[in-house]
Parts: sequence; structure tokens; C-alpha cells
Amino acid sequence: MKTPEELKYAKTHEWVRFISDTEVEVGLSDFAQDQLGDLVFVNLPDVDAEAVEGEAICDVESVKAVSDVNAPVSGTVTEVNEALLDAPETINSDPYGAWLFRLANVTDTENLLDAEAYIKFCEEEAH
Amino acid sequence: MINRLYLIEASGTNPTENLALESVLMDQVNFHEMILYLWQNDNTVVIGRNQNVRKECRLNEIKRDGVHLVRRSSGGGAVYHDLGNLNFTFLTDDENYSEERQSQIICNALRKLGIEAECTGRNDILCQGKKFSGNAYYHHNGKSYQHGTLLIHSDLSKMPVYLQPDPEKYKARGVDSVRSRVTNLADVKPGLTIDQVRTALIQACEEEYGVSAEMYSRPDVDVLAQRTAKFASPEWIYGQELPFDTSCEKRFPWGSIRLEFRVEHGIVTHVSVWSDSMEPDIIDVIPELLQGSLFQSEELCKRLSVKDHPIYRDLCELLKEQV
Repeated sequence: MKTPEELKYAKTHEWVRFISDTEVEVGLSDFAQDQLGDLVFVNLPDVDAEAVEGEAICDVESVKAVSDVNAPVSGTVTEVNEALLDAPETINSDPYGAWLFRLANVTDTENLLDAEAYIKFCEEEAH
Repeated sequence: MINRLYLIEASGTNPTENLALESVLMDQVNFHEMILYLWQNDNTVVIGRNQNVRKECRLNEIKRDGVHLVRRSSGGGAVYHDLGNLNFTFLTDDENYSEERQSQIICNALRKLGIEAECTGRNDILCQGKKFSGNAYYHHNGKSYQHGTLLIHSDLSKMPVYLQPDPEKYKARGVDSVRSRVTNLADVKPGLTIDQVRTALIQACEEEYGVSAEMYSRPDVDVLAQRTAKFASPEWIYGQELPFDTSCEKRFPWGSIRLEFRVEHGIVTHVSVWSDSMEPDIIDVIPELLQGSLFQSEELCKRLSVKDHPIYRDLCELLKEQV
């Protein structure tokens, strides 16, 4: 399982890449894509939607399961990765390249984990 | 660990009300509780959350025969339900949710009835290599459910009548249905009834969790009515209609014609026409007439009725047949 050092993670298995202090890119972690199995569909949020930390912002479908994607931080959606609509499997093959959406005016970042803490959290969850 | 096991059965066979109840139960189930919900839909096509309704369903036949059409919250493909089929839903919190354990309950219930089934983890549950239970899953707000069909004495000839036979007919984004070899459990175990399966399921569930099932009280009527309205709304059933391309063609005494449509959110946004007809004036204006129309044969025919011409009358018949 890959867990890049430079990223932050939520306990709901989203990764966060800081573009600046208040802008982030969000995707699903390698652990998440592995647990979900083959992704077949992605519903992206609307641009300008308000993301609230810990609440569902959009969802994905994998092997007959629809699962929430939670907002790992709060902010406003500025951009969504439309390329995923035609190629949801990219989340499986390249989880850290397959960003879902970008947020601006980011707040509520204090619950994010660093890579080391996230790896530990996943190990506990797997047991 | 599951501290309380609840049982609730649908009060009727209306699929919209039944899906609404399931959705409310998902909101209401507490941590360490498991709700087993048993329900039946009469004469119903159910499509998956992210499916394109037109790509999966033969809407004319569904309308003609008064079949219910609903969309569920979970993923997966399109299925046909009637009263020979029993649906189950296991609802609990994410922590206590286990597809392996829940599927095992189904297999244990059937074993009580003398039926050996194979549980293959996340996949469908099979008997003698054929599917009798299709399962799908939904994870939302820290709660999860697994639900599935149990074909007992369902009319298996209906499925091909209402589900789209030709996956190539519509080109669209959306989750495709997967065809499987299916079987009724009553064919494996003659005389098997819905009631026997229901009773065995409840018993197997109690044994697995080591607690007796209590009846779950029916949610508030107003809450149910509101949720029913959501599942009944065209926005929920059709609104996810994603853009698609489709075509129809036929040979007539005056020549052959092929129409290609681009449909976005149910509206025709582009039409191309190919024809060897000797009446270009009539043919060339077709895109102009049809663009902007709802993608329904009645609406399209209305657009063609601006001029009373035999070609338009034939085209209208073609659209009624193939759209």
C-alpha cells in the first residue's frame, strides 16, 4: 500500500494535497481503492458546492456498492476532475494521481493525519 | 457486536414505498443494532443508482404493461421483481456491517430448508452454479446496508421483456447490467414457499447474532411520505439520465432512413439523418424539426405532424417502434 509522505489523510480514507495554505486537492487513498474494489462510476460534486469536514460531498460506485466520499476538510469546490467520469478505474490504477475535486477557502484541517499516523490507523482498522 | 436485532416487514408491495422505508430505516438504525427488513415488490423493474434508465429498460413495454419503474440507492444492475421474489435488507452501522457474515446468514437459512448454496463473499449467492440472489450495497453517513433478491418462484420470462436486450443500442456513460444464469429456488426444492424462506431467514439471523428478533416500530408516517415522494420523483428515476447517443433505422417503400440522436437530460440536442429517399426537402428538415424535443415517441411524432406527408407518417411509426 502506498501512502505518500507529502500528503495528509482523513480517517474516512481521503487524501489531501495542499496546493497553498487555503487550497487543496482531494482523492481516495490507496487503502480506500483497495477496500472498494473496481471503481465503475464516480459522481462528482458541483463546482461552488460547500464542503463540510466529515460530511458526504459525493459518492462512488464499485462492485455494486455505492459509497460516500467525505469532505476531509471544509471549503468551496472550485474544480472537479471530469476525466474520471469516463475513466473511474484511474482511481484504482493511480489513486494519488486521480484527484476528485479541488477546494478553496479551506478550514477545519485539524483532524487530518500525516502519513505515519494514517498508516497506523489503517492497520488498526484492518484488524 | 450486535446488541439488538430488529425485524420489520413491508406493509405492501409498492416498490416506491418499500424503497422509502428502507432509506428511512438506514437513517434510523443505531450503532450495534441490526435491522432485518423483508419486502416484496409486485411487477417492478429496479435499476441501480448510476444506471442510464433508457440504456437498461424498454420503457415502451414497461409503460404498456403498467410495470413499476424505480431506482434504488445502491449500485449494480437492473432487475425485475414480482411476488415470487423475496427481498431482504441487512441494515447496521459500518463497524458491525459484514458482507461475509450477512451472506452466510442467507446460506444458513437455505440450509435449514435443505438447499445447499454457495456464498462467494461479495458476489452473488449461487445454487448449482446459477444465481438466485443478486446483492447490492450502500454505505452512507456511517451506516451500511446489504440488500438482495431471493428468487423463489419468480416469472423469469418477464426479465427479457422489460430489460434492454441490446447493450449496443444506446451509447452512454453509466453502469452496465451484467447478465447471469438465474434459477428459482422452487426449481431446486419443489414446493418451497416465500413464508418458509422468511421464517428460516429470521431464525438464521437470530442464531448468527445470538439474540432474539424484536419487531421494529414503523417509522413516522410523514417521514415515510416525504421519502416516498423523493423515490417517486422523475428527478430521482430519470434525472440521472446521462447524455447518450442512439439511432434507429428502417427500409420503407420510398427508401431507407437512419436517424441518429444525441440526447442530454432527456432532450434531443442533435439529430443526423441518412437516407436514399428522393425527397431531400422532406428529409433535410428533420433535424431542425426534432432538435429540442423530449426524447419520447409521442413528442417526436408531434414535431413531425407539422406536415402531413407519408414519409413523416412512416417515421412516426418507426419512432414508436424503436424509441
